[in-house]
Amino acid sequence: MTKSDIGIVGCGQTPYSKRAQGTLVGYLADAARRALDSAGMARGDIDGLAVAAFQLPPDNAVTLAEQFGITVSYADYFTAGGAGSVAMMLAAKRAIEDGQAKAVLCVAGDLYDVGAHYRLMGNFNQALSNYAQPHGFGGPNGLFALVTRKHMEAYGTTCEQFGRISVGQRASAALNDNALLRGPMTMDDYLNARMIADPLRLFDCVLPCTGAEAVVVAAVDRAPKGKGVRVLSGAEQHNHPPGEVAPLHIGAALYRDRLWARAGYGPKDMQFAQIYDDYPVMVAIQLEDLGYFGAGEAPGFLARHDFAWNGSLPLNTGGGQLSCGQTGAGGGMIGLWEAVTQLRHEAGARQVPKVERGLVAGYGMVGYGHGLGSASVVLERA
Amino acid sequence: MMGDMANPPTYPQPREDATNAPLIAGWREGRLMLQRCGDCGRAFFYPRPMCPHCWSEKLAWFEASGRGRIVAYSHVFKPHHPAFDAEAPIVLIEAALEEGALMLTRVVGEDRTNARSRMAISLVPMPEAARYPLPTFVLA
Repeated sequence: MTKSDIGIVGCGQTPYSKRAQGTLVGYLADAARRALDSAGMARGDIDGLAVAAFQLPPDNAVTLAEQFGITVSYADYFTAGGAGSVAMMLAAKRAIEDGQAKAVLCVAGDLYDVGAHYRLMGNFNQALSNYAQPHGFGGPNGLFALVTRKHMEAYGTTCEQFGRISVGQRASAALNDNALLRGPMTMDDYLNARMIADPLRLFDCVLPCTGAEAVVVAAVDRAPKGKGVRVLSGAEQHNHPPGEVAPLHIGAALYRDRLWARAGYGPKDMQFAQIYDDYPVMVAIQLEDLGYFGAGEAPGFLARHDFAWNGSLPLNTGGGQLSCGQTGAGGGMIGLWEAVTQLRHEAGARQVPKVERGLVAGYGMVGYGHGLGSASVVLERA
Repeated sequence: MMGDMANPPTYPQPREDATNAPLIAGWREGRLMLQRCGDCGRAFFYPRPMCPHCWSEKLAWFEASGRGRIVAYSHVFKPHHPAFDAEAPIVLIEAALEEGALMLTRVVGEDRTNARSRMAISLVPMPEAARYPLPTFVLA
């Protein structure tokens, strides 16, 4: 395969907090400034802008360009929830390959907290507000409790096996100053936490919070020396399988073979996996559909791996959303930010040694029962 | 069934539109109305202006049996609206209706926490049905 020269040349992340300390545009601007610094670029080098933020409407990418005071030849606003940021980055790459822009700033984030999350999910889309909210459904916690139950009954997965994801990631979060939950957590802590929507307990559920991430997509040779990240392959698939309320599969099942074939690598070649982690069950489902193990083999795979940054499968090496918090649509970019940080060898105490390549998978946009979107990318240190 | 029959909680309501009006009108009389496609023959939920299986516009409403089975369930301790708090834990289920459609709904009643996957369910009968905004079930 021919390697694309377009990749990620900079990344930025704002501080995370349980309550907003400013405006959404302020947070997005802060992430953007940090990403430009990381890319060694100035504001004037940017000629494309893409944004994912649930709370941005009635604003959009073009009005954000006005706020930022930049003129752009490419602008787009993305909606695929937790899959949106990976899909947004892939679209920016295609726009550059097509000659539409040379350097696209992709930003994502929200002023999320428990109340904002509650308000958003009650009116997230027509199907949910019309046919789930009148049942008091419990928000995503209730919906993903159904998926988790189904996974346990279909495959025999146990709470303890799911817990290995949360516990492993918490060990990584201890080394991430920006993680809101970074105190130690044992398996007993996980298993005995407050029941939220059975079988989901407190540490199965992400903490809504405020923050933003940004990446700059451009020709990799525009990055500071040794800091470019190449995109080996990427794919997305939404609303698969259609017509199911709580399926145990996502769109990745359809693009998995193409994703790996184009990358020239397989799951075993990845030195980390940044997998959208709104709930542990969705990490298990994405790992299966991305080919880490065979159909229904999650229980054995989860039992045999250690998911900390220095474990047998470094997973969400900054602690993931389960430990850092979920910044609304920014939750779709935290994995991309962490991947780029790792591949630039800037992850400090949690740096995966000698890392050359890894996987980022985004998932989300809850419809009538489950997240509809899936987008994944294989990245390599340039 | 539970609580004060004369003063039901102010549950959030579905927004009635040209597509879902027969569902909402039917449930006011305690009937579960579904759409069936005149071309591919499949019944589905939630209401749509075209068949999600084949895009046909030849859709017909019919009264479903009101029977089905639980596919998956959860006891939800924090409902997504305060109107449900007095009933917590609410029992959220994915239901497979006899006609083949899948539905997110609730099992209500004093024995609701006995709900398990594959159990048979049936519609809440009138007059209790009128209390709920959308078709709601009890253990059969």
